[in-house]
Amino acid sequence: MGLDSTFAPLMESADRFAAAARKCMEDMQTPGPAAVEAARTFGDFLRVETMNFFRFPWSANPSSGDVSGAAPPPSMQDLPAFGPSREHQLRWQRTAATGRRVGDAQHRLHLLWSDALRDAAIAFAARLKPPCPSPAMRTMPDLEALRGLYNSWVDCAEEAYARVAHSDSFVGALADFMNASSEWRKESRASIELWAKALDLPTRSEVNTLMRRVSSLEEQLRLKEQDRLNEQDQLKNPRDTPRTDPPRARRPSRARRGKRP
Amino acid sequence: MTFADVYARLAAATDCAPGCSPKELVWESGKLRLFRYQPTAPSSGAVPLLIVYALVNRPYMMDLQEDRSLIRGLLDAGLTVYLIDWGYPDGADRFTTLADYIDRLLAGSVEQVLAAHRLDALNLLGVCQGGVLSLCFSALHPRKVRNLITMVTPVDFHTPADLLSKWARKIDVAAWVGDGNVSGDTLNQLFLALMPFRLGHQKYMDLLLGSPDQAQVENFMRVERWIFDSPDQAGAAFREFVAWFYQENRLVRNQLEVAGRKVDLRSLQVPLLNLIGSKDHLVPRDASKALQRLVGSKDYTTLEFDLGHIGMYISARAQREVPAAIVRWLAQR
Repeated sequence: MGLDSTFAPLMESADRFAAAARKCMEDMQTPGPAAVEAARTFGDFLRVETMNFFRFPWSANPSSGDVSGAAPPPSMQDLPAFGPSREHQLRWQRTAATGRRVGDAQHRLHLLWSDALRDAAIAFAARLKPPCPSPAMRTMPDLEALRGLYNSWVDCAEEAYARVAHSDSFVGALADFMNASSEWRKESRASIELWAKALDLPTRSEVNTLMRRVSSLEEQLRLKEQDRLNEQDQLKNPRDTPRTDPPRARRPSRARRGKRP
Repeated sequence: MTFADVYARLAAATDCAPGCSPKELVWESGKLRLFRYQPTAPSSGAVPLLIVYALVNRPYMMDLQEDRSLIRGLLDAGLTVYLIDWGYPDGADRFTTLADYIDRLLAGSVEQVLAAHRLDALNLLGVCQGGVLSLCFSALHPRKVRNLITMVTPVDFHTPADLLSKWARKIDVAAWVGDGNVSGDTLNQLFLALMPFRLGHQKYMDLLLGSPDQAQVENFMRVERWIFDSPDQAGAAFREFVAWFYQENRLVRNQLEVAGRKVDLRSLQVPLLNLIGSKDHLVPRDASKALQRLVGSKDYTTLEFDLGHIGMYISARAQREVPAAIVRWLAQR
């Protein structure tokens, strides 16, 4: 990600924040319901501003991509599977079902994220209630005052988010999202591998099988080499234990080792 | 200072390279590289210190820049310092297991250091996940470790404040990993999601509003590079790590086996120093503090610093206090 794409949204966001904060402070000059309303409006602004800013692991929907062979024709989604295309239909249906589970979990996570932002906005507005604004803020806020407001918003937001993120509902939704995404990926890969086989292209499964065989051979070679070294050691030093134990290197004298290292 | 000024400084610092202390490659095995740092001071006489960093990030955080280098602090005190760089796993490493990392690669590195110095035990410093690997290695090979130091190391993975662990416990990690590796980018997003406002927004606003000088901007960019320079994780080892530690908490339950051998922390009798960041959001202090009740060592010291996870590596306070604490503790043993 380039500097432009990282910082341009932040700068624009900072400008919007400053404008909203100044408006809020202006409206809060008069104590009473208007001030409470101003604080609530500012909190809501922050909630909306933050809603789509972050990129979470659950923000992307893996099943929304166009993967050849993975998307079932809508007409087949709920039909009983039989006949020559039975296996393909079942696979499509499984893929579609996992896609729906991904979407459902993602929806729950977005709701929880929204809840966290709502709670943050309420807590932030409560902090702003008169006579909360400091003397510096009763006039038009300067940069330091704006920064104080911003930090206060971050504190409220992190606290609210932490409560949600630790909750069972969030933990469950996140797990559902991850687990459904894993299943969706597995089903999609199976579909793609079918095409690859039809075109006589190597598949990931085949490569993995070969890699397992190579790993196994490497391990056998390592063990044989270890045995050979152990035997050499035994011949040189018959009373020594095998090399898998601590090395037989000579200990240097205490003077060479330094003071009680 | 305007945003444009900060922006210009950021652009000028984009290619700042991390790492400042000269080092030489002394051993390679697969993607692993073992480095020895060149001394900067007369030897203190202590046995060499091998730093075992985490698999999930790059180890140059230990030597980021001259005024932010734990390694520099150790070298300046006369320690002989080695560092393991695990490298960037690719598709060919997907079946690499924790046993491979601990009992082959870490053990191989230890053998290299011991052979080079004709010693039978060294000092081990395990950082974060590397601390877990170091604990396992030390329990399996107790005679090869003279002193063990763990830094921001999780031990009890089921403490109430451990959000990452709560999230991990219900995830089907075998399905997640499948037969592949785990994307470093995905893990990064999970780490950032632990505190999204502070890690994904506030730190950038602080930079933009903080009138940073060029050196501060360069420091920021090096840290930024480190944060997002996240290697993919070898699938098999990742699956084991999440299942055994995050989900099943095997270290605490004394149920861990690596390479067919039991890892019993009670067998750890070596002097042990545990360095904890009391504001660590990634490895909560209680997750680290649990080590004391699990190890057999009678010579156990905990040092807590009022710092977060990254602050333990690179904050100004860490530079002053952490290397000095390690050197002092080692000198007393």
